[in-house]
Amino acid sequence: MEKRPHALLLKFPGTNCDAETSRALEEAGFSSEILPIACVDEGSLESAQLIVLSGGFSYGDYVMAGRLAQLELERRIGDALTRFRDGGGYLLGICNGFQILTKLGLLPEGSLINNTSGRFICRWVKLERRVDDNPFLRGLPENFELPIAHAEGRFVAPEGAAEKYMDEGLAALVYEEDVNGSTSRIAGLTDNSGRVLGLMPHPERFLWDSHHYDRDWVGDGDGRGSGYQMFKSIYNTIAGEIAHEPG
Amino acid sequence: MEKISAEVIGKFESEGDANKLVYAPLNAPVKYRRTRVYMLEYEGKLEFAKNFVQRCLVDDYADEVFYTSEPAVQDFSFYIDYGMKPGALDLEKEAILSSHKSTEGFDIVSLKLVQRIYIFSDPSITSERFVRDVCNPAIHVWSVTDSNGQKVA
Repeated sequence: MEKRPHALLLKFPGTNCDAETSRALEEAGFSSEILPIACVDEGSLESAQLIVLSGGFSYGDYVMAGRLAQLELERRIGDALTRFRDGGGYLLGICNGFQILTKLGLLPEGSLINNTSGRFICRWVKLERRVDDNPFLRGLPENFELPIAHAEGRFVAPEGAAEKYMDEGLAALVYEEDVNGSTSRIAGLTDNSGRVLGLMPHPERFLWDSHHYDRDWVGDGDGRGSGYQMFKSIYNTIAGEIAHEPG
Repeated sequence: MEKISAEVIGKFESEGDANKLVYAPLNAPVKYRRTRVYMLEYEGKLEFAKNFVQRCLVDDYADEVFYTSEPAVQDFSFYIDYGMKPGALDLEKEAILSSHKSTEGFDIVSLKLVQRIYIFSDPSITSERFVRDVCNPAIHVWSVTDSNGQKVA
């Protein structure tokens, strides 16, 4: 029987996009499991090829978005996520998950802070893919749309760092216009290995044509949205690796 | 037992329109700035307590921390301090305390969390509306301090 790539979604108190993200992963071909943080230990990661930190408000965004989830993860499994990546695993952080990955140091230095407007923003945005061969993004066109919903999505970094990320291809996604004050309009970051991606937009909310705000929107004609293409990209990457595994 | 007060300010944040704090328009140019204050009673070395504050409560890139009991922001008209009532279930505090490791070289005796809102306005703007719209008497305790450092509510 063909082995399906397996995605593990880590759920914290306050995570609320795990079910729809799990559905999106299954739609793309993954088997998936949502695991509450209270049940997570190092052994939990062994069966997964992809670990997903989905959106929401972990621990009520107390202190700052992602901080308490970071501390709890470090307390429970130490640097197991780093070892998971170094061992060939993939990590995806969506919205609050992006904030957590940043705090964990799994993405380039920086932080996601309050939008310059001081308000929660919920809208669709136009995005530009700035990397050609990222495993999460290679199936997407250069420009596409996704919804965002966040209060703390403004990316800031040490002086000059954001420009460096743009030059080095670590700023994988940028907003086409300034929506929240992010430095260099950064919407998503990848690490040097390309195995970790964090993004503020919600790909799990655009799986089908019918999810788009424009009822006449037609993508490639297959009825699928850009979010689906993102999950399908990482599925294809991992499925390809599994197919080439010896034995 | 030692005490430390840490006021954390967002480096990239500036004064915002205070209309965001209230339900009805202020009809006056009023600005505000929000900070977080952590008051820690502990036994052990100050250095370890500061390490804990930095590790758990401060963002390395985006925050500045001031270890002083004086307000870290100047030129305000008044500020409102509010936090959970003693005895109320304070999940934020519980989560912070659970991230304290016994190996950190100090013990936390108590932790008080305060949300601080500085208001910048002319004297005609008083604190009552802000207290009414920001604080919830069912769960919060609060105080108001004027620009002379006097508690007025």
